[in-house]
Amino acid sequence: MPVIELSLSGRPKSARVVGIDLGTTNSLVAYIGDNGPEVIRDRSGNGLVPSIVYYDQEQDRLLVGEEARDRLVTEPRKAIYSVKRFMGKGSEDVQEDLSLVPFQIAPGSEQVIGFQMGDRVFTPPEISAFILRDLKKRASQFFGEEVSQAVITVPAYFNDAQRQATKDAGHLAGLEVLRIVNEPTAASLAYGIDRKEEAIVAVYDLGGGTFDISILKLKDGIFEVLSTNGDTHLGGDDLDNRLITLVIDEMGKEAGEGIAQDPAVFQTIRKAIIKAKHDLSDSDSAIVEIDPGVQRPAYRRTLTRDDFDRLIDDLVERTLGPCAQALKDANLKPEQIDEVVMVGGSTRIPLVRAKVKELFKREPHIELNPDEVVALGAAIQADVLAGGRRDLLLLDVTPLSLGIETMGGVVAKIINRNSTIPASAAEMFTTWVDNQTGIDVHVLQGEREMVEDCRSLARFTLKGIPPQPAGLPRIEVKFLIDANGILTVSARDLRTQQEHSIEVKPSYGLSDEQIEKMLLDSFEFAEEDIRKRQLVEARNEAETVMRAAEKALADHPRELIDADERSAIVSALDDLRQAAGGDDHQLIRDKIRILDDASQHLAEIIMDSALVAALKNRKASEVAKG
Amino acid sequence: MADFATNTVTSSTGVCPHCGSQTAGAHFCAECRKIQLVSGSDYFQFFGLPRKLLIDVSDLEKSFYELSRQFHPDYFMRASNAEQQASIERSSMLNDGYRTLRDRVARVSYLLALEGYKEAEKKAPPDLLEEVFELNMQIEELKAAKKAGDENDVAEAQSALEEAMMGLREKLAGIDDRLLAKFGDWDSALDRSAPTSEKSALLDQMSELLSHRSYIGHLVHSIQEEL
Repeated sequence: MPVIELSLSGRPKSARVVGIDLGTTNSLVAYIGDNGPEVIRDRSGNGLVPSIVYYDQEQDRLLVGEEARDRLVTEPRKAIYSVKRFMGKGSEDVQEDLSLVPFQIAPGSEQVIGFQMGDRVFTPPEISAFILRDLKKRASQFFGEEVSQAVITVPAYFNDAQRQATKDAGHLAGLEVLRIVNEPTAASLAYGIDRKEEAIVAVYDLGGGTFDISILKLKDGIFEVLSTNGDTHLGGDDLDNRLITLVIDEMGKEAGEGIAQDPAVFQTIRKAIIKAKHDLSDSDSAIVEIDPGVQRPAYRRTLTRDDFDRLIDDLVERTLGPCAQALKDANLKPEQIDEVVMVGGSTRIPLVRAKVKELFKREPHIELNPDEVVALGAAIQADVLAGGRRDLLLLDVTPLSLGIETMGGVVAKIINRNSTIPASAAEMFTTWVDNQTGIDVHVLQGEREMVEDCRSLARFTLKGIPPQPAGLPRIEVKFLIDANGILTVSARDLRTQQEHSIEVKPSYGLSDEQIEKMLLDSFEFAEEDIRKRQLVEARNEAETVMRAAEKALADHPRELIDADERSAIVSALDDLRQAAGGDDHQLIRDKIRILDDASQHLAEIIMDSALVAALKNRKASEVAKG
Repeated sequence: MADFATNTVTSSTGVCPHCGSQTAGAHFCAECRKIQLVSGSDYFQFFGLPRKLLIDVSDLEKSFYELSRQFHPDYFMRASNAEQQASIERSSMLNDGYRTLRDRVARVSYLLALEGYKEAEKKAPPDLLEEVFELNMQIEELKAAKKAGDENDVAEAQSALEEAMMGLREKLAGIDDRLLAKFGDWDSALDRSAPTSEKSALLDQMSELLSHRSYIGHLVHSIQEEL
């Protein structure tokens, strides 16, 4: 696929990199437009893709987003939502979460959870990959060219396994993940991009499933994270669960037991209380109405904001501990914070705003849409990575200390939390007994002193040490946390200067082999219904070509081509639009070709003129083949 | 899952891996202008600083930002693998070095390590031994009172410990003042090219102060845990 490298600004044209906010509740994709970062929306102007995946066993197809959400109530057993809570976790870690969702867990989920959906099992990275693929498609259609590189955001307090799982999801979706960026840090980019003077900023990010607080110093375009803290198990979902529990308890009295076990009723309740929660952000009371079906009496109650505040007070209070710790780690007092920025849908809740205001003693910023600000920031970082701008630089930190197991199950910290990344540490290892040829190393993440209180990251063995008396070998192991917050390890024998082989057993997460297999699986999956796929592809292509042609007609002066040519293009466009509405993929292809031919000349003229950038540097025909 | 790469370490030879010119440990090659792998491990040298202890932290921050803009991996996304590797190495050394040098205690500990000193062990200052004995008694009393559930005794033991803490904090501040004075002595010894014996004596003294500092710090920490 030829890409013509031309640009008006003279800066080297780089492949497009988009910013993706892969959220617990909603996901979205953004890019840098002529007027700064913008969310990519569908035809009806909607930027949010609900992070829900539905598996249709009969037709062996997947639905993502709105379509999947529509099935949640009718077929709750086949839909997965809030998958982000399960990323990088084993079944032991998520017992509590599982009690609140109707998902079935497949056997063998100790290291990576498997969701049983019909006769198939999907892991959290795969489910996330389906969402990412949908966003990728959305972006590719928007640009009229395939988007294959992205920046994806994660909660700042995500550990190594959760970050890696997110990166794996991108890989499975056919995206090269150029960077994993922390959500609050991304948000600060969106807020602070035009800021010139020095400032200390606190970003309070309460999303669907996670809470983060980050404190940054902004100076001369450098966004230096001073400290970060959070709770990967606290978000809007938990607030919802309080309301769900309330409703189920109250319904239980009249409607009999077993409501919670009926997933359809459960989803009806969930939908109703989410609506009430949203209503309570603007008004003092809301009505919760639930019709659980014929066998049970309907439920209706008024919920005041006071009721709601009382229900969630301790949860909101729980966010203040991490805030205090982050301030302490940054060596700052609340009054030294110049600005407070609110991120995440849950910061619309009046009680949350009130508590944040009380803690920092200032009015928090809510100018940017709290659902979109992370994606906008991710797009800015994507632009930096694509070479678009060099005036901005993010210096982020690692949220958790990295350590290795030593004698007696004690963890020796080698990289402290809140260290700017990339960060590294070198440790010397030697043998305990004569002629020992291998040394076991156990890597952990966390702040506590004992192994059992920290998160196991991986175990590996330094192998092939030549037999020598105990204590003589000197193996230097270098631990490096890269700019994604992900660990890499290398080892060297200092006596021989030989690189050492490391055999790794990750504690949680997918192995490279598993990922390769999943890549093949998803390919097969796409092959299964060939005709349906051909139609979908033809429609997508039609969409892309039509968009490119419409854009070319709209963006360029009428003098460029004569009236006949113009009307030929317009009528070819109409024909294609009509064909795309039908289900004959061959007809769609034919009409694409006709539009292609009709617009060839226009594309060439545009190409020759300096206006090339407007058609994304490509002829409509090339777009079609792309 | 961590990504365990086998690193292709090209140890420093003072030769640019991109074009083969002599680089003498510079950040960038004078010939081809490309970023160099890290050679050596001296943070002072890395920042272009003498091994002095009185550092203007705002100047250090300024160089940190400037060098970050030159080395950060964000700016090497489209560069060759060798350059990307060099950028990650150089940025991580920059970050590690900044973290070490901006903090007084970390800085002097690092200098001592460079000068061949082992990590300072916790050592009680001789004038403190009696006090430590007393403190341990008080901690035991607090524990006993807590166990017995006697609120009056708990409060009494707590206020005794809090008072002791104040004393310890003052001692810490005193040690820091003496340490800072030694910083000045060390820097002037360097300026005068003082004899090795004088410098060694200074290093010994600073190492001793660090040991005391670490001991008292540990004590304060364990009292805080009890309180």
